[in-house]
Amino acid sequence: MQAYIIRRILGAVFVVFLVGTFSFFAIRVLPGNFATASLGLDAGSASADTIAQREADLGLDKPIGEQYATWLWDTVRLDLGDSFLTQNTVWYEIGRSLPYSIELGVLIMIVGFTVAIPVGLISAIFQDKALDYSLRGLAILALAAPVFWTAAIASLVVLQWDLFLIDVIGQPHLWEDPGKAITWYLIPMFAGGFAGTATTMRLLRSQMLEVLRQDYVRTARAKGLRESVVITRHALRNALLPVLTVMGVTIATIIGSQVILENMFNIPGIGNKVLTALFARDNPVFQSVVLIIAVFTVLTNLVVDILYGVIDPRIRLS
Amino acid sequence: MSQIVDPTVVPLRDPTVLDRVSGASRSLGRFLRTKPLGGSGLILVVVFILVAVLASVIERHDPDQIFETPNPDYKANPSTLELARNPDIGSPVLVSQFEEPGGGHWFGTDKFGRDIWSQVIHGSRLSLIVGLGASVIAVVGGLIIGMISAYYAGIVDLLIQRIVDMLQAIPFLVLVLVFTQITERSVLNVVLWLGVAGLAITTRLIRSAVLQVRESEFVLAARVVGASDLRIMIRHVLPNCVAVLIIAFSIGIGAYILAEASISFLGAGPQGIPSWGQMVQAGRGSLDLHPWQTVFAGGAIMMIVLGFNLLGDALRDVLDPRLRGA
Repeated sequence: MQAYIIRRILGAVFVVFLVGTFSFFAIRVLPGNFATASLGLDAGSASADTIAQREADLGLDKPIGEQYATWLWDTVRLDLGDSFLTQNTVWYEIGRSLPYSIELGVLIMIVGFTVAIPVGLISAIFQDKALDYSLRGLAILALAAPVFWTAAIASLVVLQWDLFLIDVIGQPHLWEDPGKAITWYLIPMFAGGFAGTATTMRLLRSQMLEVLRQDYVRTARAKGLRESVVITRHALRNALLPVLTVMGVTIATIIGSQVILENMFNIPGIGNKVLTALFARDNPVFQSVVLIIAVFTVLTNLVVDILYGVIDPRIRLS
Repeated sequence: MSQIVDPTVVPLRDPTVLDRVSGASRSLGRFLRTKPLGGSGLILVVVFILVAVLASVIERHDPDQIFETPNPDYKANPSTLELARNPDIGSPVLVSQFEEPGGGHWFGTDKFGRDIWSQVIHGSRLSLIVGLGASVIAVVGGLIIGMISAYYAGIVDLLIQRIVDMLQAIPFLVLVLVFTQITERSVLNVVLWLGVAGLAITTRLIRSAVLQVRESEFVLAARVVGASDLRIMIRHVLPNCVAVLIIAFSIGIGAYILAEASISFLGAGPQGIPSWGQMVQAGRGSLDLHPWQTVFAGGAIMMIVLGFNLLGDALRDVLDPRLRGA
């Protein structure tokens, strides 16, 4: 078991290193850099000297190998550098934006799971009945609808019927002003949750159908246990494990939809940061934010895998 | 001598093209009957393909044509005061922007007075090209890399798997945004990069399928007979992975269409071609009063993705029941 955990941790560290290297080179491969982007992309308006001066200030004129070595050494020491755009340290930028993203991400997950688990369960229990078909149909629709469109339609509904006022000024956190904060989290959290629900619901349904056919479920029924006990205690517990396994993928999907939702609703989270940093060629912020997202998903996968190995010894051998 | 024909003997004949066609249509009929959801997906996909191919026939208007109506208040050489009261007074025609859906414009007109129906019709081309093209690239690339990974095992496999892990640790949308910015954002380049971004998933799927087939007894038998590795891969492993290839191809299409729509929505999509994602974004500026452009363009995205997803699900169920719901 220990060897397994160590092997998994080493693998995870290596993947994070690869992601960092990838994002380091990716942002530099793109045409233009912060110097040209900030001075106006048509380089004609700024003289070559000005651009060269700016590049030298930012350290972009050094050979790529030297830049990479510096970045690697700094990152290992957890020094992420300063944002080109705002001059603040990257840690400050992340510290400011991460709470918004975590808030929204958690809300999306709460919405997603509170919908997906009962719906998947009901769908499996009423297999091939009208209820099952309509719930599955809804899930398939949720999977097909682009998240930005669902969110746009939801805001349209809110605007048409004056349901509530979306107050985007001040951008308070939930713990600062819950009443105000929830009004501008409400649409993105339901749009994101709706999109995230479908995969979980379908997975849970198919797992439930599988589990309900197992011998131990038949045994439980033969013992005369109530159906509700059989389903919650015996079936659901086992059916939820695979849902847990794909948690890393689920989180990556949610972060992906957060990039769009934060952009649409002016939420200053890391999804928004990664977009601005990418378009402005703000190398330090882009590299660090991508790295942090990767640490998040890789860590989730790692924890899930190790937990799974603890719960189910068969995994360790494969 | 006359030939004696025994009427009770049914002559053996080669299966003709006609037979094959009727055989295919019979299995299509069975598919539609046993998989109503997959059947409706197939119909949706066929409709969208027809719309894309026949776009210039059913468009009704040129998608770029700007519609104008005569200005009832038109006055030549207005005074400054009149211009301040009504800025449009000096122009003889008005752009018919934001018309409601109706007989003239089925889906209404957009901010620039263009026919939304024609734009939506033409947008289907980009979505289909992107979805099918990117999925072909991802599957072909994934097949090559997946087979190499499964075949060489050891350090090569380990390295490829970690790279796949790396690609999957970055949100797909961010990956696509980065890739597509490397080159000029032409349709072809965007298709290519979407396919590359999808390689991680297809490689993983195909690698595990190859690993499974490689352990089977007929591969062992072929090896015993002395078949070369290449021959085993191409003659024995590959044909047994066809089901997985079809599945990987069909379930990816919807995801690539959504990814293209997303980057177009963010203003970083392919340039110079009508795109539904971009139309959803364009309509958002006046969403509260004139929602039609956003509603119809987004609805089209949902329907085409729905069609491909339903079809892909049904194909997966038919071809590989073990993967159901995966």
